[in-house]
Amino acid sequence: MKTMMSMQSSQVKKTESLNYLKRFLTYALLILISFILMIPIIWLLITSLKQDIEYLSFPITFLPATPQWGNFTQVFAPVYYFLKHAGMTVFLATVFATLTVFSSALCGYAFARYRDVKANPSLFGIIVAMLIVPSIVTMIPSFMIFAKVHLTGTYWPWVLWGLAGSPYHIFLFRQFFITFPKELEDAAEVDGCTPFGTFGRIFLPNAKAAIATSFILNFLWVWGDWLTPRIYLRADNTTLGVLVNTVFTNPQGQLLTTLTMAGIVIYTLPVVIIFFIGQRYILKGIVTSGLAGR
Amino acid sequence: MLEKKTLRRSHRRRGTFFLFISPWLVGFVLLTIFPLAFGFVISLTNYDGLNLFNLHFTGFKNYLTAIQDPNVQHTFNRTLIWTALNLPTWLILSLLLAVIANQKVKGIGVFRTLFYLPSVIPAVGLVWTWKILLEKNFGLLNAMLDIFRPGTAVGWLTDQAMYGVTAMAVWNGLGAGMIIFLAGLQGIPDELVDAAKVDGANSFRVFWNVVLPMLSPVIFFQLVLGLISAFQQLTIPWLATTSGSIGVPPRGIYLYMINVYQQIFGVGRFGYGMALLWILIFIIIVLTLLVFRTQRYWVYSETEGEG
Repeated sequence: MKTMMSMQSSQVKKTESLNYLKRFLTYALLILISFILMIPIIWLLITSLKQDIEYLSFPITFLPATPQWGNFTQVFAPVYYFLKHAGMTVFLATVFATLTVFSSALCGYAFARYRDVKANPSLFGIIVAMLIVPSIVTMIPSFMIFAKVHLTGTYWPWVLWGLAGSPYHIFLFRQFFITFPKELEDAAEVDGCTPFGTFGRIFLPNAKAAIATSFILNFLWVWGDWLTPRIYLRADNTTLGVLVNTVFTNPQGQLLTTLTMAGIVIYTLPVVIIFFIGQRYILKGIVTSGLAGR
Repeated sequence: MLEKKTLRRSHRRRGTFFLFISPWLVGFVLLTIFPLAFGFVISLTNYDGLNLFNLHFTGFKNYLTAIQDPNVQHTFNRTLIWTALNLPTWLILSLLLAVIANQKVKGIGVFRTLFYLPSVIPAVGLVWTWKILLEKNFGLLNAMLDIFRPGTAVGWLTDQAMYGVTAMAVWNGLGAGMIIFLAGLQGIPDELVDAAKVDGANSFRVFWNVVLPMLSPVIFFQLVLGLISAFQQLTIPWLATTSGSIGVPPRGIYLYMINVYQQIFGVGRFGYGMALLWILIFIIIVLTLLVFRTQRYWVYSETEGEG
């Protein structure tokens, strides 16, 4: 067969098959790496379907004899108050995210559209500097102050933090609003819009993408935070993250591992779902300010 | 007349500007500056959370105690090792991942999503996911190692916690690092890479001599942020090595912030803890400035001399 082909077509065929090989290897590599990165998640899912006795067996049992779907209903058993704390966390995260988005948008708008004000650049410098100041540094002394005014154990600190906006999100909104044309502002002013009206009626409705990004990131931050609620809140009104970490024990106080895993799956699932839905916004938010949200 | 009008207008604009940023400005003063200053004042006292009526200034005694405390030295050394282990591993692996995720093949979006997925998992989910992998007697990793070397029982979360916790922290951070490197890679003009290829450079040379220098501002940025976050790491090592609400992390992973947390919330040495916190702030600022100083030797900038 080969001898019957002309020199040229064999050459073409060669590069073509080389391309195929290259593409095959690329996919093989991509799949391999995806698999390696997914191992912990796969193992989490498998373990959440085991009985504790299977998890504690030696040598290791890879798959549960019968999948314990009951673990997932057990998580919602009244003794653990899982749903109650999930509701509280949704409430806290929604309040915090709403306030933060609004304050940060307003503030970011002012930094973007009032660049003629003399104090603007230096104040914005503070925002940029605050981007790299670790929050933990203010969180612990803040705790002492909040404790003095009896606001620990309540959600008020989150309300105040939300009202104050966050440097990261102010930065995000500023970068977003700075791209709007000047004419939009002028037209609104000619039409007799107040400065706040210009912001609320012209700019904000056009900032849906930035609002979505900011809201999702803030919501996920509260949902995933462990340290702040651990320090600030009581056991009966803390967030779900703090709860799932310790709650699944038997009456003797021993930790039930596979039940905890089921709890972890349910606790993490909303985050993954929100990520899949809002992926576009989340990744954009991270890249825009170039900061990983940690 | 006209001048007066523009002047009035600029005054009004100034007023509006300050009105709009007032929530942040007030919050910044009350929730950031004030706590920092308050923390500093507390660090000069013997405050232990209860002795408000027996409070007295001790000057810089807490700071002197901290510097001489062998426990603090231990935690500082551990933090250095933690940073030296985490930061390069995270930077290199997330850069590699970004290069792989930058392949122009069909369906690459799906792989990018999968690569990013570990980064969305919250801290509590992360540590539990890894606890069952790294557990000494029942974990998957030791079971796998056992096949090659029977009797393996490495305490990945006890005596070898430094490595175990590094693994989970890096796994958790890879996606976020990748996304930023990916944005950096996509900002490199194709012509530059093509020109180098025409000149006969192989893929490795292109990467080393063209891509890497072009990417150096992004690497620098990641390095600074990574350094700051490595020095204040607390949640992941704490959660990974303790169980339930009792217990403290083993000595091997007793990082600086873990000690701060323990001094304040475990023992109630507020004044001393605040001094430790301020020392950390100082160290972080100094290190950040040092890294900034190295910038001009290795970070590529298009407008030479500006950086």
